[in-house]
Amino acid sequence: MLQKKICMLGSFAVGKTSLVRRFVESIYSEVYQTTVGVKIDKKNVKVDEKEISLVLWDIYGEDDYQKMRWTYLRGASGYLLVADGTRKTTLEKAVSLEQKVREEVGAIPFVLVINKSDLIRDWELDPALESQLAAHGWGILRSSAKTGEGVEESFSLLTRKMLG
Amino acid sequence: MNMSDVLEKALVEMGFALLEHRGNGEFLPVAKLPGWFAEIWAEAADGSDPVPLSRQSPFLENFLLEAEDYWNSPGSTSCQSETWIEKSLSGREIPIQAKALFLDGKRILALFSPDAQFREQVKFLQIARNASLDHERLAREIQKKEILLHCIVHDLSQPLSVMHVAMDLLSEESISERSKQFLTLGKHASNQQETMIRQILQTFSDDLRASLDAGTEGNSSSDLLQCARKTMTSLGPTFEAKGVRLAVSSTVDPEGKWPVAAEESRLQRIFSNLLENALRYTPAGRRVTIGVEDEGDFLRAFVDDEGPGLPQDLRPEQIFGLFMKGKQSGGKAGLGLYFCRITVERWGGTIGCVSLPEKGSRFWFRLPRATGRTSASSPAALQTSNASSPKRIQASVRPLRILLADDQEDIRTLTAYQLKRSGHTVIIAKDGKQALRAFRSAYFDVVLLDQEMPEMTGDEVARAIRKTEEGKKKQVFLVASTGNTTSEDARRLKQAGFDDVLGKPFRLEDLNLILSASPAATSATKEPSTPSTLPGANFAELVARVGGDEKLLKRMIHTFLRDMPRRLVGIAAAIRQKDPERLASLAHALKGSVGIFAAEAACKHSQELQELGRSSELSKASEVLALLKEEIAKLQANLRGYANQTPARPKSNHVKRQRPPRNRGKRRR
Repeated sequence: MLQKKICMLGSFAVGKTSLVRRFVESIYSEVYQTTVGVKIDKKNVKVDEKEISLVLWDIYGEDDYQKMRWTYLRGASGYLLVADGTRKTTLEKAVSLEQKVREEVGAIPFVLVINKSDLIRDWELDPALESQLAAHGWGILRSSAKTGEGVEESFSLLTRKMLG
Repeated sequence: MNMSDVLEKALVEMGFALLEHRGNGEFLPVAKLPGWFAEIWAEAADGSDPVPLSRQSPFLENFLLEAEDYWNSPGSTSCQSETWIEKSLSGREIPIQAKALFLDGKRILALFSPDAQFREQVKFLQIARNASLDHERLAREIQKKEILLHCIVHDLSQPLSVMHVAMDLLSEESISERSKQFLTLGKHASNQQETMIRQILQTFSDDLRASLDAGTEGNSSSDLLQCARKTMTSLGPTFEAKGVRLAVSSTVDPEGKWPVAAEESRLQRIFSNLLENALRYTPAGRRVTIGVEDEGDFLRAFVDDEGPGLPQDLRPEQIFGLFMKGKQSGGKAGLGLYFCRITVERWGGTIGCVSLPEKGSRFWFRLPRATGRTSASSPAALQTSNASSPKRIQASVRPLRILLADDQEDIRTLTAYQLKRSGHTVIIAKDGKQALRAFRSAYFDVVLLDQEMPEMTGDEVARAIRKTEEGKKKQVFLVASTGNTTSEDARRLKQAGFDDVLGKPFRLEDLNLILSASPAATSATKEPSTPSTLPGANFAELVARVGGDEKLLKRMIHTFLRDMPRRLVGIAAAIRQKDPERLASLAHALKGSVGIFAAEAACKHSQELQELGRSSELSKASEVLALLKEEIAKLQANLRGYANQTPARPKSNHVKRQRPPRNRGKRRR
């Protein structure tokens, strides 16, 4: 079976681990538990009649305490760039991470996932910036690890992008 | 036993799994394996056959690439992984770290589960990140609260000022008893609303101050250019993603100092909001430029974009309005630029925007240059008139020349009307620039400045006036009219050059109290006249206070004498029923009434009662009330004498139909 490595990137507390747990185990926890280190999960999916094994690298969110190791991206076929719709700084961080990935490992497929769509009333993202990034060819989806909205679609879109 | 054997045994004792790399990602245990290892890779735990660990663990597979490099050149720096998590067969998450070793020519992989250390690390990071999230949340809440606070202060208080003044004026007119009852109801309701607004304002400002206590209270200063650069750094990638260049203007001296009286995190938020606004309208391939300029007592910052320019259907000041969003590429809630405006104005600055001659627009703001932190020995904060001390009350107010500047037409009209009725000469100005021009062209005893005006704020006008007075002996009495009445605001206003503050919403009596404290008014009281030994001003002085309108004065005395017993009963009941809020409210109202007649001692006791009410300390209230009643009795006797005086001469233009005598008849009964 074809195997593809996907990395989860983004600021801390944007919901990377929650998205993986929702996608792999269909569960969600309200309690924020920070990720220290790297967690790896697998899930088999079928895209366009092809069976693919996705190896999901859930990498801790970079901040002042933990710096990103770019070697984790070695061999990655793509990555999900996760931002939190209620914290506009996380979108700025996502934009900056995309830039760094391009410098470190080159242009590989990615999808920007703006998480926490269940809290849409508290969103502080500028919709204009969202549409500007989309106009630059970014694949952007809104998701909620809590309700499951957009989660399957995000991984599916990335998988299609990885398969070309 | 050689040293390697000793080391191996020691490592095993410490819970390390030692495996020899046999090539192709396969490993053979070289010592007894710890229990946690068997929980994950049970089949490898018996130690007989090489185990393809790298195929079972994607993380190890990745790490082996680094380990291979180390084993191929063992002299290089040590090779150790960060922590990763493996799941045991039972689903337990086990943290692991790996280290590549080269021992006796063998390629050894040492695996270790730093369980306790890992738990500590998780605990530490959880606390740190929760705190960081709380801080972000708090910053957002503060912005929302500041906007709400501003709305309460201005959007709710401004109309209330008009209502107070209009009802005060109406109560002096000849209206029916029934109308008076309605008026009393209206006054009661507007007083209640004022109390609520003040309570909310106090709660919010205390709350905000407490939230920002970490080194940001008082007169903090920040470097304008450094704040701009920090914001540029955090927004740089976003600009790059859109293909918009972001630069500091070449006219800026990078080594210069740009200290402004502003708190850093809010200042960065202002830059961030202005830059985001510029990015929204600037097409890819164009540039946004940020700069700072020296304007003497003020420093100016600007953000230039190369977008379409300002919309033609909007005035620049409308762009900074609440919930204002552009038709094209509008922001989310229309709060960003509004926040910039209220924050800049709160710091005594101004903000604006213009279309640039060729293309694009410039958003700018200017802030007072910081002059260093205020020490504890700085001038005492100003008091607002609404909490005025009895010492303010002077014997009389001679006609004054007053410059009144307010951009609110209704407040301007009513205040000017009342001041003129009181015999003052009033020149009005609709904005700050007009006020400054008027000041320079004529002499004034008092200048009453609204704080938030177009063109120039009250602060700016005050600074400019004080500058023109430098070296002169006599200075004009400057009064700020504002809804921002916290102690921090008072300190700021004092620094801007104000002598007094008229808190909005205000009543006529508040305004009269302020005017009576002005040097021009007090100098008149020192002139030789027949000093009154009784409480309150003498009749002639009182007539002067109401613009020479004896009829009006008598009506006011009549109302005062009629209402006083009921008001004193109300205060006594509030004390008896242990209702501090009502006591404070009634005492405040009474203070204003006795203040009109310049009854200093009565005013002082009313103030004491008000303060006792506000602090919910009622034990001494009855005692103070007894003193107050004593003073009121003296005042009443005095005023009754005035009420019976024959008018000096009827004013020809004030001759009106005689009022029916029904009230008098009623009173006699």
